[in-house]
Amino acid sequence: MRGLFKRLAGRVAQGYRGMSIQLVLSLSFTAVALAGILLLGGSLLLRFSDSMQAMAQESTQRVLAQVNRNLDSYLRRMMRVSDTVYYRIIKKTDATHRSMTEDMGLLYEENRDVLVSIAVFNEGGALEAAAPLSSAKRSAFPNESPWFRQALDKMENLHFSTPHIQELFDDPDDRYRWVVSLSRHVQLTRAGSTESGVLLVDMSFAGIAQVCRNVEQPNGGYIYLIDRDGEIIYHPRQQLIYAGLLEENNLAAAGYSDGSHRERFQGQSREVTVKTVGYTGWKLVGVVPNPWLWGQSDSLLLFGVSILLFSAFLMAFLNFRVSAYISDPILRLDQAVKELEAGREAVEIEESGCYELRRLSRSIASMVSTMRHLMDDIIQQEAQKRRSELEVLQSQINPHFLYNTLDSVIWMTESGRYQESIQMVTSLARLFRIALSRGKRIIPLADELEHARHYLNIQQIRYKNKFDAAVSAGPDTGGLYTLKLTIQPLLENAIYHGITGSEEDGLITVDARREGDDLIIDVSDNGVGMRPEVAATLLSEQRPELHTTGSGIGVRNVHQRIRLTFGEPYGLTIFSEPDEGTTIRLRLPALNLEQAGRYQQEGAP
Amino acid sequence: MKHKRNTVIQLIILILLGGAVIVTMLLPQLPSHRDAAPLVEISVILREADSSLWLNARLGMEQAAGELGAELRVLTLAQANDGADQLAVLRREIGQQSNALVVVPADPPELSRALAEQEAVCPIVSMESPLEGASLTVSPDNAALGGALAEAVLARDAAGFILLLNASPDSTGVAARVDGARAVLERAGAPVRERTVSLTASSDALRDLLKQPDLSAVMAFEPALTEQAAALKQSLGLDVPLYGVGVSANAAAWLEQGVISAAGAWSDFAAGYLAVEGAVNLARGDSYHTEPLPFFIVRGEELYEPEYQKLLFPVG
Repeated sequence: MRGLFKRLAGRVAQGYRGMSIQLVLSLSFTAVALAGILLLGGSLLLRFSDSMQAMAQESTQRVLAQVNRNLDSYLRRMMRVSDTVYYRIIKKTDATHRSMTEDMGLLYEENRDVLVSIAVFNEGGALEAAAPLSSAKRSAFPNESPWFRQALDKMENLHFSTPHIQELFDDPDDRYRWVVSLSRHVQLTRAGSTESGVLLVDMSFAGIAQVCRNVEQPNGGYIYLIDRDGEIIYHPRQQLIYAGLLEENNLAAAGYSDGSHRERFQGQSREVTVKTVGYTGWKLVGVVPNPWLWGQSDSLLLFGVSILLFSAFLMAFLNFRVSAYISDPILRLDQAVKELEAGREAVEIEESGCYELRRLSRSIASMVSTMRHLMDDIIQQEAQKRRSELEVLQSQINPHFLYNTLDSVIWMTESGRYQESIQMVTSLARLFRIALSRGKRIIPLADELEHARHYLNIQQIRYKNKFDAAVSAGPDTGGLYTLKLTIQPLLENAIYHGITGSEEDGLITVDARREGDDLIIDVSDNGVGMRPEVAATLLSEQRPELHTTGSGIGVRNVHQRIRLTFGEPYGLTIFSEPDEGTTIRLRLPALNLEQAGRYQQEGAP
Repeated sequence: MKHKRNTVIQLIILILLGGAVIVTMLLPQLPSHRDAAPLVEISVILREADSSLWLNARLGMEQAAGELGAELRVLTLAQANDGADQLAVLRREIGQQSNALVVVPADPPELSRALAEQEAVCPIVSMESPLEGASLTVSPDNAALGGALAEAVLARDAAGFILLLNASPDSTGVAARVDGARAVLERAGAPVRERTVSLTASSDALRDLLKQPDLSAVMAFEPALTEQAAALKQSLGLDVPLYGVGVSANAAAWLEQGVISAAGAWSDFAAGYLAVEGAVNLARGDSYHTEPLPFFIVRGEELYEPEYQKLLFPVG
């Protein structure tokens, strides 16, 4: 049993864990509501049943009281007849001188609707007088009858018998009539002296049956009449009981006191109400099958069940709606969190539902926002850091370049080529000045081009005019700004990888122009070039870091700096064919002074 | 997925509850709940020309009919024990769509044969005699009744033979009583003569039988013959003891007067009630079973015993 309970509890817990909050809410609400409805319904049912029972009892008691009054009136009428016979006829008549038959006949005629016979017997059982028949059967022995013996045994009382067949007189009209006998002891006067006798008034059983018959009782109930020993006097199905086809709980009822009792008889629960009929000791018994609803009315029960079920339906429907109202915001929040977990960025966290849930949604939204800002900050910081690193790398002058340049200056000075050495030193100075640019990252395009020009001057002197160079700018590029030191690394790349390996006269061109909102700078050489697939890999992140022999600043670093500063749409594009040369195109935003200033501030440490 | 499952569960619960509401609201409107059990028409076909001997049984039948919702039609024959007439009446009642029949068969074998040929026969309850084809038989144990009556005859020590009278030679129930009595008497070594008489013919034949010399006792095995023999005995002032079957009001008076020495009896009210109760139940398609009716042998001096009063005389 305990194991079974544990297994059941385990299953419920498992089921609970697998349920959604809405199902848990709706089912638990519904279960509680159903329990409440059942409790309420059961309570109402019991109350109703009690009320019905009380009403049935009250009704039965009312009916019994009415029947009792009628029966009492009937019996008192018989007793009055008996008294009249005794006190007005027997007591005033001396049997020696006058017969009582005539007077008794008159009295009988007055009450013939309820009487069968009136008879007086002497102590030995011989008939003294009778009406309406005056001769007894030869086979009749009244002194052996119970009513006769009771009258002589208890002289002070009137005795009512149970129903029996009238056996004293031979009545050709109705030979076997059911009667109830009222007998009493009387004093007969004969020749002036008194002797004991018995007065018998036989009343028609039909009269008693008439009083008790046709009494309506609820729920198929009925009443019956028993004597003090439980012997049935009247029962609506009396003949069935006599024939042994039906049983009644009359012997038990004889022991009941007046009032209502509940008994179980032949598997049926029933309310039994008892009322004692005055003087006789008889008991009127009202029987009503237990007025529990099932017995009361199927329709009423079904109506009650229908109301209960409809209430349950309504409650279940409302519970489902209410639980959906409560749980839907939770489900939406859960869905939003799942989407966030999946990495979706544009997730809207809806603030709906009850106060706590709205607070929770707000907190989660705030937390997500904070996380996003933190992540943005981290990304920005990382980009800044990377940019700074690249810019630091970029700002470093290759010592070889500086040494070679200064060595060239020394050599030219020693050889008396002062004008060229001055030009070289001047270009180097300008190169450094522009490279520094007071620490600015964004400089005018003109300065950048000038920086390229000076760099080319120095390299042309060093390489003894092995190549020609041309720097040009479109007319619409005036006033534009660009990221510092973006052209020089490309020129360095063109010289070291393009021109130096070429046997032809080299040509390096730098051309700046504007395309819409973009600034395009093409750095081209007619050097050895490379295969397009190799050119395509030069800017790849997966390619190892480029280290040039020039200024030491790689082409990829320029590309990364541009992208880190201006974003993905910008950067380098390399066009190259073997033996035809290479063009590296820089795409930058066309910045005016104001925009340049903004980028300057963003890039400030 | 889970949301869909929840919706399905909720829908199922709502549909079940809604369905239950509709069912409980519609149920009282159904004809089977609204109407009481339909009235059952029952025809009671006796084997006598008048039903006076069945007074108490009719009271029982009417009580059962009233309680169980049946309509009774009690039919007698133009001539007592006319099997052909009874068969014609029975066929007519079947044709008139009686829901069940209660028959006191005049000629059970012939009736059984006719019923076997009849199509669409309603439930039939037989009284007094077993009937092949009948769904139920309501009667005392006839052979035992005859035997018990014979025991009562043997209780008197008298010389002469015992005359067994039978007015319904075709009735197997009556024949069983005769057989039962004869068996007991013969076993006891009592001389027995058996005669068949007609209830419709003049009483001369019966008078001659009752006036036979050396007649020690007369036994009649059916109520009508018992009454006829008693009346004749009383009118002729005969002393031969008469034993009969059935206690009608007349028979009770003769018992009381000693004209009938003893009578085999049972509760006619109970027989009538059980027959109609069985017929109604069978007509409604229910099963029904009853035991043989208890019987007793009553003498004149016992007539007013309370138990006999209750059984023999209808209350009211």
